[in-house]
Amino acid sequence: MISLRGLTKRYGGTLAVDDLTFDIQTGRVTGFLGPNGAGKSTTMRMILGLDHPTRGRALIAGRPYADLRRPLRAVGAMLDARAVHPARSGRTHLVAQARANGIPVRRVDEVLETVGLTKAARRPAGTYSLGMSGRLGVAGALLGDPPVLILDEPVNGLDPDGVRWIRRLVRDQAAEGRTVFLSSHLMSEMQLTADHLVIIGRGRLLSDTSMTDFLAAASPASARASVPDPEQRATLVRRLMAIDGVSVETSADGELTVEGSTAAEVGDLAHHCGVRLHGLSDIRVSLEQAYMDLTARSVEYATGGTAERGRQ
Amino acid sequence: MTTTTTHGGQAASPRTAPDAPGRRTPGGFAGAVASEWTKLWSVRAAYLCLLAGLAITGVFTFYYASIARINDHPVQPVGNAAAASAVISQFAVVILATVAVTSEYSTGSVRATLLWVPRRHRVHAAKALVTAVVAFLSGAVFALVGTAVAWGAFDGRASLDIGTTVQQILAVGAYQALVAVLTVGVAFATRHPAGALSILITLLWALPSVLLGLGGDTFTAVNDHLPHGAGDHFMHVGADAPYTSATAILIVVAWAAAAHLIGLFVLRRTDA
Repeated sequence: MISLRGLTKRYGGTLAVDDLTFDIQTGRVTGFLGPNGAGKSTTMRMILGLDHPTRGRALIAGRPYADLRRPLRAVGAMLDARAVHPARSGRTHLVAQARANGIPVRRVDEVLETVGLTKAARRPAGTYSLGMSGRLGVAGALLGDPPVLILDEPVNGLDPDGVRWIRRLVRDQAAEGRTVFLSSHLMSEMQLTADHLVIIGRGRLLSDTSMTDFLAAASPASARASVPDPEQRATLVRRLMAIDGVSVETSADGELTVEGSTAAEVGDLAHHCGVRLHGLSDIRVSLEQAYMDLTARSVEYATGGTAERGRQ
Repeated sequence: MTTTTTHGGQAASPRTAPDAPGRRTPGGFAGAVASEWTKLWSVRAAYLCLLAGLAITGVFTFYYASIARINDHPVQPVGNAAAASAVISQFAVVILATVAVTSEYSTGSVRATLLWVPRRHRVHAAKALVTAVVAFLSGAVFALVGTAVAWGAFDGRASLDIGTTVQQILAVGAYQALVAVLTVGVAFATRHPAGALSILITLLWALPSVLLGLGGDTFTAVNDHLPHGAGDHFMHVGADAPYTSATAILIVVAWAAAAHLIGLFVLRRTDA
């Protein structure tokens, strides 16, 4: 588990990270979202001991990263996949990494195999494509077989195959009981990958909830139903409209969009009235939409900078 | 978290005890040193520097001995040629050690290094140790080759005492090792090769040249307390020195230690 307590980073006059307190739980994928410049990378760097917090602290399994004697066995991190000496081969980079933490060198060849870089392993890392650099970064994160993974934009530069591969890998790692903390700009990808969300804006915590709760909160209950028989359709619409706070729209092809009611409720009602259904589903807001709504609000709120500071 | 297994089929011990002390395999300082050693030899820069250092030593000692012969200088220990060559060959070590540090900043790989070894003093000490060992061994080899070249070129204008010669060869190695430590400190403090090299060239070459060129007791005394001035006093045999060899070594050690501490101070304070 990773715990942040009042983590704060100030650069000169600006607060890059402002009093972040949250926990990243074991056994699930926690997605880290926020607009550019929200402080995601700074937060990750502070968790990993690269940047010194102005205030507060970040602990991994109860200890600061710098106190871990063999940190790669405790935390696997990928921050900037391009941060490799361009003349050094991918394999040598990993060998130097393995030696730093007493990891056997055969493990290097295992992770190279896992990420599909075996063939390019002895080429200078400077000749790698962005996608290959990303795979090398992931190989480095997996090297120590750590219980905690911290990945900053792991799908950056990957092709669709690579994106799917990362998704599966990350899900598998969490299913094995590991802690996974990852940031991404790809909302659709995040929706498929993460169980839990931590969203920050302007360095402040905006949301720390499960994916399901976040989406549910962002979208009022609504459902889509397809009723083939016009008469039955009319009956169902009438019964639905009778419920307080429910409105129904009927499209040209006879599909009903029910606002203020879940698919389960519509289904129960249809069953009760003996209405035949051909389709029934909840309408969910996409993560992208929900995220945009939230951050739009936060940006508006944050634009009143002086007022915001006055609240503190 | 009881009996999970990993994809590798290994037991999940790393997960249940991610950081348990007492493993056989090294981490910590030994790991940091092994990692730095691997990194140093994985890029061409190190080989090029050493090759250049060897060539420079060969040429310098040849000329030193030839000039002594042609100008009928008094007979001197043969090792003096190699000792004198350190004034130039030290820059092979300076560049090697500078690049070992600053290339990590220019490529951003210093972040990787600090993730692998999060204790900054450990990274700093490991780099200093690895470059110092390389500088000691290469410095001694340079001096050995330089002495052999000079012996031929002196053509009788030099004396050969095995004990003195070995001592001089080791002294050159020790001086180069201290230059490596000094350089690593300066490079961590500046983070940029241009800054590090300007400081080191000034300190190890330009300033001594100016001071000795101006002459006079005060300037000579100042130069005797600069790293190369002091180093020269324990590498050279036969010239009159204002202090003992032990003092000379201590002066260079003090410079190396000061640079090391300044580099460490900067490295610990700044964000990577």
